[in-house]
Amino acid sequence: MLVRSHYVHVNDPQLTEAKGLLAKLRRYDRLDVIYLVYGLMVVSAVVLSYFLGAFNLLPFDPEEMDLEAMMAPVFSNGHILGTDFMGRDLLSRLILGIQAYFLPGLLAITIALTIGSTLGVLAGYYGRRWDTGVTYFNNLLDSFPRLVLILLVVAAFKPNIYYIMMVVGLTNVPNIAALIKNKILFLKQKNFIESAIALGIPAPAIIFRHILWYNCRAVLVIQATLGMGEAILMETSLSYLGFGVQEPTPSWGNMVQAGSNYLLQGDFWPSTAPALFILLTILGFYLLGDALNNILEGKKSI
Amino acid sequence: MSPAPHLLIEDLHTYFYSSERHAFIHSVDGVDLSVAKGETLGIVGESGSGKSITMLSVMGLIQANPGVLKGRVTLQSKGGSVDLIPQIEDYVELENKDQSIVSVKKDTVSWRKHIERTMKSIRGKEISMIFQNPKAALNPFTTVGKQIVEMVRLHNPSETEKSAREKAMYWLERVKIDDPVNRFDAFPGDLSGGMCQRAMVAMALASEPSLLIADEPTTGLDATIQASIVQLLQELKTDLGITMILISHDISVISALSDKVAVMYGGQVVEHGPARDILEVKDHVKNHPYTKALLSSIPDEKNVLPNGHLKSIEGEVPDTIDVPCGCRFVERCNAYDAGLKTKCVNARPRLVNITPDHRVRCWLYQE
Repeated sequence: MLVRSHYVHVNDPQLTEAKGLLAKLRRYDRLDVIYLVYGLMVVSAVVLSYFLGAFNLLPFDPEEMDLEAMMAPVFSNGHILGTDFMGRDLLSRLILGIQAYFLPGLLAITIALTIGSTLGVLAGYYGRRWDTGVTYFNNLLDSFPRLVLILLVVAAFKPNIYYIMMVVGLTNVPNIAALIKNKILFLKQKNFIESAIALGIPAPAIIFRHILWYNCRAVLVIQATLGMGEAILMETSLSYLGFGVQEPTPSWGNMVQAGSNYLLQGDFWPSTAPALFILLTILGFYLLGDALNNILEGKKSI
Repeated sequence: MSPAPHLLIEDLHTYFYSSERHAFIHSVDGVDLSVAKGETLGIVGESGSGKSITMLSVMGLIQANPGVLKGRVTLQSKGGSVDLIPQIEDYVELENKDQSIVSVKKDTVSWRKHIERTMKSIRGKEISMIFQNPKAALNPFTTVGKQIVEMVRLHNPSETEKSAREKAMYWLERVKIDDPVNRFDAFPGDLSGGMCQRAMVAMALASEPSLLIADEPTTGLDATIQASIVQLLQELKTDLGITMILISHDISVISALSDKVAVMYGGQVVEHGPARDILEVKDHVKNHPYTKALLSSIPDEKNVLPNGHLKSIEGEVPDTIDVPCGCRFVERCNAYDAGLKTKCVNARPRLVNITPDHRVRCWLYQE
């Protein structure tokens, strides 16, 4: 039977462990906490919008044209955010626009994280020839301008958002591979990996549990949030150029583009609203990544 | 006939390729060692004498490119005797010149894979190894308890989470960490160096190996903690009857724990025998001059020179690439006379028996 010792210890959980979430958060930099809360709000708004769009729970049919109310201002005729040049409800289109980012963005992140960490482990843990090979692969990918690579894919196949996101994910691989590799090289200096080998822990357990799970999960989560922001930014630029999601399916990028034709006539809102959404969302993902980096890794990025 | 030793190392050579000097470094040069079941062997020598490399070679942990080993290591495991190092000649072509390797042909990958296959059932299960600097040897991002549980389950995968936890707790108590209940969920960063080393010992023993290799277990710890770790190892040795190989450059640690002692110098064993014959200088025992010099370098009252300085061994460990062709210690030795000098400089002494269990590598005691 195990008896609790009578010693009093400084790290007694009752003494040092914070009670409740708020008290825990108070330990961190206030700005980080604000970023974290804002970022989480953005993420939940994005997830919520995705499901609203997926189950078609929109205030208006996003493709229904209301010819009576073209370019309607905010809060008119029941349109909370007004309408665009064809009289389509802006809010519904903005919510539906998330469909263009959510799953494709996840695809980009998944590709970047899985391939990136595989290559990182090969280069960092096995080293030697793997390291050389991975470095060459990374340099090769890095030397292609990303936009050119995407345009190449669009030209070769078709302007499908999933193809584009595969390329976005793939071009993110070098970053993540380098991060994981450097992390492993750093961990190898502390000789717990060698000690784990000496104690007979099998290689898969060392790689997956001791390296990736215990030591790299924070890095991976941070990269995932940053990757999501980047994917949205990329899709937006492409849609703006006309290579991304095609009309009439709404995406924020093609909404900005469509609205921008009417800017000179003074109707700035139909392009500004999606642009603001893009700004706030990407800011949310980046700030979340930054806050997580400071909180989980305990250091400032950059 | 006496039973086969628990671990028998015969003519072990380890080479590293130095890309700076384009030559092979002969780190371990024909080491012969043996340790009987339940016995403790202390390996002593100064830095760079090949103590750690010998044991890393035995464990198949030599990773440096291309790190080649030759020789025979036989372990009496629970399931019978096992050869730990496959004959390298079966896999790799070595080009020899003057007893040193000039080049390695063919790939060493398949040979290395063979080592990994053999070691899979040895590391942790038969032989565990603990290192110096225990704080770095534990994974800093997970709790001590989880790491011990992992070792328990590695040894016996059928163990449930709960019983593995209990066993891990048992080992934490066994290594006398105070307040094991709270320490179980502590991260290595919250523990002191001594407690980390205790946790490390618990981890090494949790898979119930029959042989424990401790590589400088007390280096980097406070003097008082060193003493308590030595005491812990002493108790575990008598209680568990575990065979131990202890590597240290601290002679007091070696003398406290060892039954047998091997003195290493320049990659060779220069003296191997019972601890009492080696660590206590007696006039009638024929010790190697290096052992004598080493013992008189211990900071102690009787080792103070008339000018107030402590005794030390002049010179440095010989170069491992341009190996002296005679005795390794000849440049720092003051024991030979003019009649022996040519022999000492030009011919390599063998490890010869002085008494049935005491061997010395010196021309003073052989023809």
